[in-house]
Amino acid sequence: MKRIILLLLSIAFIGGCSAEQSQGEESDYPPDLIEFVAPATPGGGWDLTARSMQRALNNNELVESDINVVNKPGGGGEVGFQYLKNRDSNTLAVNSSLLFTNNELGLSELSHEDFTPLAILATEWQSIAVGPDSDYDNLEAVMEQLKKDPESLKIGVAPGLGNDDHLSFIQAAQEYGIDPSKLDFLVYESGGEVVTALLGGHIDVATMSVSEASEQYKADRLDIVGVSSEERLEELPEVPTFKEQGVDLVFPHWRGVMGPPDMTEEEIAYWDERLQQMVETEEWQTILENNQWDDYYMNAEETEQFMDEQEQTYQELLTNAGLTE
Amino acid sequence: MDYGYFIDGLMNAITPLNLLFVFLGGLLGTIVGMLPGLGPATGVAVLIPVTFGMEPISAMILLIAIYYGAMYGGSRSSILLNTPGDASAIAASFDGYPMAKKGQAGQALAIATIASLVGGTVAVIGFTFLAGPLADFAIRFGPAEYFLLMLFTLSAIVSLSRGDMLKGFISMLFGLVLSTIGVDAQSSVYRFTMGLPQLAEGIDFLIVIIGIYAVGEVLYNFIAINRPPEKKNKVESLWFTREQWNASKLPIFRSAPLGFIVGVLPGAGGSIASMLGYTTERQLSRTPERFGQGTAEGVAAPESANNSASVGALIPLLSMGIPGSGTTAVLLGALVMLGIQPGPLLFESEPTTIWTLINSMFIGNLFLVVINILLVGLLIKVLDTPSNILYPLILMLGFIGAYTLSYSTIDFYILLAFGVLGLAFKLLRFPIAPLILALIVGHDMEQNFRKSLIVSDGSASVFFSSPISVVLIIMIILSISVPFILSAVKNKKAKQA
Repeated sequence: MKRIILLLLSIAFIGGCSAEQSQGEESDYPPDLIEFVAPATPGGGWDLTARSMQRALNNNELVESDINVVNKPGGGGEVGFQYLKNRDSNTLAVNSSLLFTNNELGLSELSHEDFTPLAILATEWQSIAVGPDSDYDNLEAVMEQLKKDPESLKIGVAPGLGNDDHLSFIQAAQEYGIDPSKLDFLVYESGGEVVTALLGGHIDVATMSVSEASEQYKADRLDIVGVSSEERLEELPEVPTFKEQGVDLVFPHWRGVMGPPDMTEEEIAYWDERLQQMVETEEWQTILENNQWDDYYMNAEETEQFMDEQEQTYQELLTNAGLTE
Repeated sequence: MDYGYFIDGLMNAITPLNLLFVFLGGLLGTIVGMLPGLGPATGVAVLIPVTFGMEPISAMILLIAIYYGAMYGGSRSSILLNTPGDASAIAASFDGYPMAKKGQAGQALAIATIASLVGGTVAVIGFTFLAGPLADFAIRFGPAEYFLLMLFTLSAIVSLSRGDMLKGFISMLFGLVLSTIGVDAQSSVYRFTMGLPQLAEGIDFLIVIIGIYAVGEVLYNFIAINRPPEKKNKVESLWFTREQWNASKLPIFRSAPLGFIVGVLPGAGGSIASMLGYTTERQLSRTPERFGQGTAEGVAAPESANNSASVGALIPLLSMGIPGSGTTAVLLGALVMLGIQPGPLLFESEPTTIWTLINSMFIGNLFLVVINILLVGLLIKVLDTPSNILYPLILMLGFIGAYTLSYSTIDFYILLAFGVLGLAFKLLRFPIAPLILALIVGHDMEQNFRKSLIVSDGSASVFFSSPISVVLIIMIILSISVPFILSAVKNKKAKQA
């Protein structure tokens, strides 16, 4: 008898606890401590995005909780994304197209459907650059040469094949009627190394984000032959877009944020509201300007749809690049 | 050079607040530098949120002070515990630890500090006058030149283990094999990762360093714990002797420009600089056999090279926006967030910022000497700490350090595995440095080799095609053959006599 009472008591106790917990979750969101996962080492784009969000949200008192940025580098985001998958809704992670490409390349079992998309925040644009004295001083000249002989120009990219720097070039080449699987890419560790290689004449063409190329461009040490935006960029008004030069392509290099699977409607609504406010703060605008990012905000619903479209695009690109079958 | 900007910069640098930041940065850098695994990269990354509300220039002074402060700290644990604080402090353990065993820990710490000061100051002067031309020189290093530079470093390290070159060579090959783990960037093929995403970028050499040195050292002492304790030498004076200074003077001043130039090359960095400083001095020494036995110049040379390399690495960072190492990559990110855009335009558009930084680096190096000299008396007490307190502490710090690298528990297993390997190396008397250096440069060396061949469409002529390459090839041949020639000459003389 005693045992049964004890059993009943403990069941009641456990039940009580869990009931309290689930109640707590609903009314207590957001929790006291929020974690932003940057699935990369400090210093990179993901880390920068996470820390910028932390800064803009906390300094403008949009989120009352303490925000902690945790770095979970490894496997092109895989380590961080795996970590996020097993967390509560107090943890969010920064993401980008690597979420699809890792899955397509067979490096990850995870896809965007394993998470709760919350927003796309900002985008960078891609650029294609050549040395200052290059014979190929516009995008058409570069593409014409590659059409004649795809291996004649060495193309620098960082830090790995299958990323946006690589795939934007693949797509541009493909639009121009070049077989992208024949191109010769040299893979460097970082965008900075690609720039050095271009300045030193060790490669002929480089593909990277605009911010990585623009300082050297302004100092007249390299030439940007095209940018992947819809219209010319404010900070580089004299650089033509891909579209103007017969390459019908707009290629954003976006950064977004997502949560673990199964976030509640209420939690999604919370972030929709706060993030929308965040992207309008002066602080966030300054961050965008400093990093040469463009506003690309989409709310949770728009993001979900955007992700589905993007997955399709990336799937095709990787196949055409010869990286997947 | 414009003296107006120089004065503006000096005035900025000596405001009380900025002086405080230089001091705090230096102190913090010394501490993170000392702790195995916790390096300047972590130190800077952790402090980034603190700098949000600060003036950009003050924040920059603080963060960069942590960076070069850590170079001072790194040698402390190499000397006292045979456990380098980071990769660039490995060379300081070759002679620093034997000195500590002889009771000369205080002297080793003091000479390392002065060497660091000279190295740092020479490099800041170099930075002031040569930033532009050196940045232009560095970009002439293509994949072939980098490959040869790394090959040269490896050949220098193997020739270091003279007498036991075979063991040195095996140790190096082991490191090269380990460096192939992870993604091959040129083809995106994943090698030997056993399906673990944590291994995708390879094994972090810092874990290997902590494992082999810290954990290995603890295990070794654990095995030795029941043996009669080693006779402890009385700690001699805390300041180096006149003879030690005379022996170290030239090596310090020679290693400073050497380290500076290696530092300017993106990707080469402090570990290669300090290793080359050490091997060069050993080659030049009239008594090379004293190296490794605890000689002051063996501590002074690598420390001078290492510190000037750390300042040299700021040149590509600030003048081209190109980070040459993990730490400078973190610094680059931090600077961009502060609204300072490193690049060729920075020197023209914000000369006051640059001159403030230069002046603060001069002041910072002086602060660091004071901090480090004052700490000598305190640090030396580590040697009196009983083993049963000291070794658990080292283990704890090692595990914390490994965890902070990527916050992954898998690293603990890797750490332990390398601890056991370190123990085996110690028991079998294999040199450890070739393994670590091969692991550090192996990956880049291979990638540069591959890139060279892609550029040349498979022709090996690419390795002979520039004057820099040819010079490097000659240096490689010399570094391998000179020890043999020297010993042959010696034998001949011995026979004749």
